[in-house]
Amino acid sequence: MNCDWVRENIALYLYDELADDARHELEGHTERCGDCAAELNAMRAFHGTMSEAPQLEVTPNLLTAARIQLAEALETVPQRRGWRWTLDPMALLRQVRFSPALAAVIFMVGFGGGIGTMYRMSASLHGSANSVEQQQEASVAGIRNIVQEPGSNRVRIDYERALPETIKGSVNDPQIQALLVMASRSTANSGLRMDSVDLLRQKPDDPAVRESLVYSLRSDSNPGVRLKAEEALAPMVKQDIRVRNAMLESLLNDNNPGVRAGALKALEAVPDDTSVRQALTQLAKEDPNEFVRQESSRVLAQADVQ
Amino acid sequence: MVGQGPSRVNDAELIRAAQHGDHAAFEELVRQYDQPVLRLALHLTGSEQEAKDIYQEAFLKVYRNLESFRFECSFYTWVYRIVSNLCMDYLRRKQVRKEDPSVRVSSDGEEFDLLEQVPDERAGTSPEQDLMRRELGRHIAAALTRLTPRERMVFEMKHYQGLKLRTIGEALNTTEETAKNTLFRATQKLRSALADVKSK
Repeated sequence: MNCDWVRENIALYLYDELADDARHELEGHTERCGDCAAELNAMRAFHGTMSEAPQLEVTPNLLTAARIQLAEALETVPQRRGWRWTLDPMALLRQVRFSPALAAVIFMVGFGGGIGTMYRMSASLHGSANSVEQQQEASVAGIRNIVQEPGSNRVRIDYERALPETIKGSVNDPQIQALLVMASRSTANSGLRMDSVDLLRQKPDDPAVRESLVYSLRSDSNPGVRLKAEEALAPMVKQDIRVRNAMLESLLNDNNPGVRAGALKALEAVPDDTSVRQALTQLAKEDPNEFVRQESSRVLAQADVQ
Repeated sequence: MVGQGPSRVNDAELIRAAQHGDHAAFEELVRQYDQPVLRLALHLTGSEQEAKDIYQEAFLKVYRNLESFRFECSFYTWVYRIVSNLCMDYLRRKQVRKEDPSVRVSSDGEEFDLLEQVPDERAGTSPEQDLMRRELGRHIAAALTRLTPRERMVFEMKHYQGLKLRTIGEALNTTEETAKNTLFRATQKLRSALADVKSK
């Protein structure tokens, strides 16, 4: 090892990119060589300078705006295998609790999305074994497009009409379940979401229901709904990594202590998962909630014994 | 923060589900990777709007090409390859235009200094210290523009994103050795450009 080699590799040394033997030799060399020691100090100062400079960071507003923009763009992309990307307005609303300006944008986007998807299922429900009752005349559900004919005062308006109906059937019926899933994502009525999630939690093995419950756990603005979804999902935490991720996200980010405690309890079943351990280690050290700190330490200690 | 970035080793399950049309799995993948992607784009462009556009373009590419992803590299590397290509295209275009590194035009046509937008959250920072720090930021922003797009990318990925050189090499379709050499050149250029600037 000579001075040229050392100078070429000091940056790698500081970035922890040298193999152990090379690292050891470089450290030994700089202890003996004044010039290389000075070069090491200069490089350390350079590192400090570059790290000291102000950096633009991703704010919750920016992240949310980027996700909205992406969701809108995905709506226009030709879909693969017949599936459709949908904007997730509730998730976005949770992210922007502290971003009133964006909340207005999301409301508009969510409203537009709601118009587009409202009661699209009704046609498929007719002719099933379930009892469907038509109650009233159809009302205007939303305006899709307005075009003025050039040089005249005539306009063409495309709109959708919603027909109120009632359906009765078993909670095991796929059509009933589909409606419950839809209700669980109702953006306006938290009572409706609570009732639907309460019924859906009887069927967490169904993939569509489970997906909907994960959505509610992550995104519902009402902690009661999130708790119900969490209870239903807890037994799935071992077998379904998406459930585990959603629990982990709740443990780390949910603003409700009850939901966090529930997530912590559920994740006790998977103490060997790397991400869970990483989260628990951090929470045990620095979470502001004493219960979460103590429980995280307990779960980690218990896992180490096992 | 835990949970940010690619902490999961078993993305394979999610990727396969997304390849088979599971939109929740795709959403999960986006959530796992989107913050580092947006941060990389924000640092390299210095513009929230440009960063959002690159973020969008990157994940649209991921979406469009997901079916052709064959697990020949990690998903993490693949995503970084896509976003780094987009960022380098942006840097090349910007180099041709020779813009002031820290001045941007807002959506309503007003010019503003990017470094004025960065909050100083450190407790006890005096106005003088704050001013000096911002001045240093301007010097660094100017020094960074002297790098080639590839040098800039390697330096950003190493110094600010903390990626291993092996990963950087894979993301940039080159070898770890080339990434090392590029990092060496970048640090030399930056040190030379900042030689007269005191950090404090």
